[in-house]
Amino acid sequence: MQTPSSCKTEARRLIVTGQVQGVGFRPFICRLAHELNLSGWVLNRTGTVEILIQGEPNRIDRFMDRLIKNAPPLAKPTLASWQTAEPDDLDTFSILDSIAESASAIHIPPDYYLCGDCLAEMSDPNQRRYRYPFINCTQCGPRYTLIKKLPYDRLNTAMSEFELCSDCREEYENRLDRRFHAQPLACPLCGPSLTFHIAGEKTIPDTGKALTACIEALRAGAIVAVKGVGGYHLICDASSVAVVRRLRERKQRARKPFAVLLPWRGQEGLVAVMEYAEPGPEELTLLKDPLRPIVLVEKRNGSPLAESVAPGIAEIGIMLPYSPLHHLLTNDFGGPLVATSANISGEPVMIDEDEVERRLSRVADAFLHHNRPILRPADDGVFRKIAGSMRPLRLGRGCAPLEMTLPFTLQEPVLAVGGHMKNAIALAWDDRAVISPHIGDLGSRRSQEVFEQTIDELATLYGISIKKVIRDAHPDYRSSRWAEQSGLPVTQVFHHHAHASALAGEYGLFETMLVFTWDGTGYGEDGTIWGGEALLGKPGEWRRAGSLRPFRIPGGDKAGREPWRSAAALFWECGREWQECPFPTELLKKAWQHELNAPLCSSAGRLFDAASALLGLVSKADYDGQAPMELEALSADGGPGPMLPLAQDENGIWRSDWTPLLAMLQNEKLSKSERAGQFHASLAETIRGQAIRIRTTHRIDRIGLCGGVFQNKRLTELAIEYLKQEGFEVYLPERLPANDAGISYGQIIEACSA
Amino acid sequence: LAHGNGGRFMRELIEHLFAKYLDNAWLDTRADAAAMPFDESDFELMITTDGFTVDPLEFPGGNIGSLAIHGTVNDLAVAGATPRYLSLNAFIEEGLEIAVLDRLIRSMAEACRECGVDIVAGDTKVLRRGQGGGVYFAVTGVGQRNRSINLGIDKIQTGDCILLSGTAGDHGCAVLLAREQFGLSGTLKSDAASVFPVTRALLDLPGLRFMRDPTRGGIATVAHEMASAVAGTVKLVETAIPINEQVKTVAEILGYDPYYLACEGRVMAVVGAGDAEEALKRMRGAGCSEAAIIGEVQDGRTQVILETALGGERILEELEDDPLPRIC
Ligand SMILES: [Fe+3]
Ligand SMILES: [Mg+2]
Ligand SMILES: [Zn+2]
Ligand SMILES: [Zn+2]
Repeated sequence: MQTPSSCKTEARRLIVTGQVQGVGFRPFICRLAHELNLSGWVLNRTGTVEILIQGEPNRIDRFMDRLIKNAPPLAKPTLASWQTAEPDDLDTFSILDSIAESASAIHIPPDYYLCGDCLAEMSDPNQRRYRYPFINCTQCGPRYTLIKKLPYDRLNTAMSEFELCSDCREEYENRLDRRFHAQPLACPLCGPSLTFHIAGEKTIPDTGKALTACIEALRAGAIVAVKGVGGYHLICDASSVAVVRRLRERKQRARKPFAVLLPWRGQEGLVAVMEYAEPGPEELTLLKDPLRPIVLVEKRNGSPLAESVAPGIAEIGIMLPYSPLHHLLTNDFGGPLVATSANISGEPVMIDEDEVERRLSRVADAFLHHNRPILRPADDGVFRKIAGSMRPLRLGRGCAPLEMTLPFTLQEPVLAVGGHMKNAIALAWDDRAVISPHIGDLGSRRSQEVFEQTIDELATLYGISIKKVIRDAHPDYRSSRWAEQSGLPVTQVFHHHAHASALAGEYGLFETMLVFTWDGTGYGEDGTIWGGEALLGKPGEWRRAGSLRPFRIPGGDKAGREPWRSAAALFWECGREWQECPFPTELLKKAWQHELNAPLCSSAGRLFDAASALLGLVSKADYDGQAPMELEALSADGGPGPMLPLAQDENGIWRSDWTPLLAMLQNEKLSKSERAGQFHASLAETIRGQAIRIRTTHRIDRIGLCGGVFQNKRLTELAIEYLKQEGFEVYLPERLPANDAGISYGQIIEACSA
Repeated sequence: LAHGNGGRFMRELIEHLFAKYLDNAWLDTRADAAAMPFDESDFELMITTDGFTVDPLEFPGGNIGSLAIHGTVNDLAVAGATPRYLSLNAFIEEGLEIAVLDRLIRSMAEACRECGVDIVAGDTKVLRRGQGGGVYFAVTGVGQRNRSINLGIDKIQTGDCILLSGTAGDHGCAVLLAREQFGLSGTLKSDAASVFPVTRALLDLPGLRFMRDPTRGGIATVAHEMASAVAGTVKLVETAIPINEQVKTVAEILGYDPYYLACEGRVMAVVGAGDAEEALKRMRGAGCSEAAIIGEVQDGRTQVILETALGGERILEELEDDPLPRIC
């Protein structure tokens, strides 16, 4: 069966790159070599894997083929190069110690779910890790949140303080074991444990008892702060109206939707999901994906979830257990659990036991701690299906740091510090960009600390030295001020240019296109607040071709939290009054007339706010995005809606006038749902109208939609439909959030394309 | 008021207005300079100078005349001095109603009496119409300070407490409303007043490190000065900062942070933690019933943090202008 010539020993040296660290790749190589009866070694050099493989040439061919094809689910290897080598005097295959070097080809894996093998083992009473909340293997478990430095070895992780017991060590050293070199490896004897602390009462240090006590407390209606992988959650019974109300009172969050953690039930784990929601196939696939994000899924009528879990919106954020601890909690509890990030509004999720006990003492009744340190926060990722694809609204645990390949090569490493709200930073060097997990709103002390920690640690982990900082043009963003004080050369990028370039960069589009960048606010080229712009051009060369009729927003940032202000301002701008305004406006209107803290804006986001307030939905927002979300949830098909007049201003910019929307929104012959529907339809029609008008003078085939407004499914899907009818190709972000989380990546594309 | 040609008109203006109201033992309108006694064995001489412009000239609780005296006296007082003598430069815009000027100078005189200071030298210039906002004052103040007093922003230490002698932002808010002709219906008044009674009460407190009157930029701006001086974090506590309900409401409506609104009759004092309660007692004893311990100096980066009612820790930025919106 084998030709004599192929029987002689050959050796090859392979270099493998891609996502190959912390994903069980070396053990896999080892097993593969063993199966194929090949000898040699594998070596981790920070970022790349080097292999010497020797044996019969046709076996080596099979090895090289299966190396890519059969790689473990989390690994994404690329065979970068190979060459023949001198065969060595080796009779086995071994894993050599890692070599640390300052190569830039490092990949930091995100935190992973609990794999099926470990889940089965944890559920088996005959296993020594039966019900052990920190079980993991090379195919699962935490990574990003516990790596101190590279190379990724146990001593360089938060697990370094846990010495392996002899059983664990045997598994760790056995190349045929799926725990071979699983760095966070642990068992009840040698690994982390749980502690349950009832505030002001007692502490239960034993893992099993702590878990039991926690379940009892949850059943009794307690709110428990539970330490997970990337931070603490506040967890409580999601089927109890009273318990959810208590959480809302204590968190002072009247209406912010809470995510729900459901038990993993049935073969596919999805049985519980079907009880509480009506997911489509894309949502189901993502729910059980190793990313294990929060997925927005349509609510199911009559589900036992308390309506107050996500009031006013049609969807519910669902998450399936991602860590062994969450599997145990949900399984033992048996019902749906609210699992909302333990933080104070807008701040990054808390990771420190003392801080949680101190700052959430008035929110949580009890605390479920564990002693595996979380080195840096990673909030849950959030996804929503828009226009046929699952798109991130927030990058977090499981999906970040996110790697993107740049469409160009950088001379020196740069840092992009992103926006102010929903901040995420990005590092870029060579042809790579790495986007951090969600950090938060930078106006708080802790956000700023996490922002700086993330910059420092990502730069250190990837071994790069930042030479330039890119920031938003807004002078008062915390990130802008940080950049100015960094001592490094700074480049400014306009907010909406960054949005447009983020989209162009994601799809590698560097020819003239038109990008609608619609969001809440951003500092524009003319010193006014932009937010409803159509930018024509390509990265490095955007110019404003379309916009909305400008108006002044009374109270500046206050308008971002209080939609009634935008509603009143639209009337004032037309020389009228909003008669039904729920708040006294005399003083505010005078300030507005005197242009006192009433900046000029062309924001589409504020139009959504105004519509929401005019329909009596949200006049003061409890959380960011509430007004447009409730407006979208209310809307039903109400026909086309009024056409917004389009005319060129003195600078040649096509501006759509929102005035006709006011009469429509006040037209009581239409139901509120129809009015909300017409509002969306009018704006989608506005996008089409501007695109067509601009196409008459500029050759454009491609339209992009980017910015926070395009998290609105109804508007986005309608706009795409209309644009496609006109023969345009339409692009919408898919790997990065459309909101300001994508700004940092866009800043890199914009600043480095010029 | 007419620009006139100097001479007789100016003499009359000075005699009938300034000299009449501001008369005291030292003021001699015919002299080129005034001579003042001073005991230099125990005291050192303290001098301050300030220019005053305000729109509108008159506002609830004061006017530019009294403000010029209070502002100057307060700068001496927070430095630990006893204010004694002032000099006054008045720049009057052609066209200003004499009746208005009369009111301003009368309040000025009243403020001097109340503060126990005398204007001992002065000068008056009339500016052409359109060159000034009605009237400007430039005031130089002289005071004396006991040589044993050792205050300074560089004396602030980590762990110190920050006190505020009364509600924050009243002056800024009152002037804002008066300026924009909002048809103020409430009773909000400027807090403009001398803070000397308060500073005098604190002076011999061993833990007293530093005092400042939070004028332009309000308490947040002074907090920033403190933070940079100590290269640390100044933490203010939202629920501890006394704020007039009306100021709260107006600031809320207009979208301003009251911490940035000016005060003209308040003291921010930094005191060693051990003396904070005593300092508070003394402030209250000096008539400041709303005085409060509003924060502390902490280790950490140079920044000002506001601990919110919910336990959040908001960064209070250094601001110059109306803040541009950042909420996306
Ligand atoms: Fe934006
Ligand atoms: Mg002054
Ligand atoms: Zn596993
Ligand atoms: Zn063990």
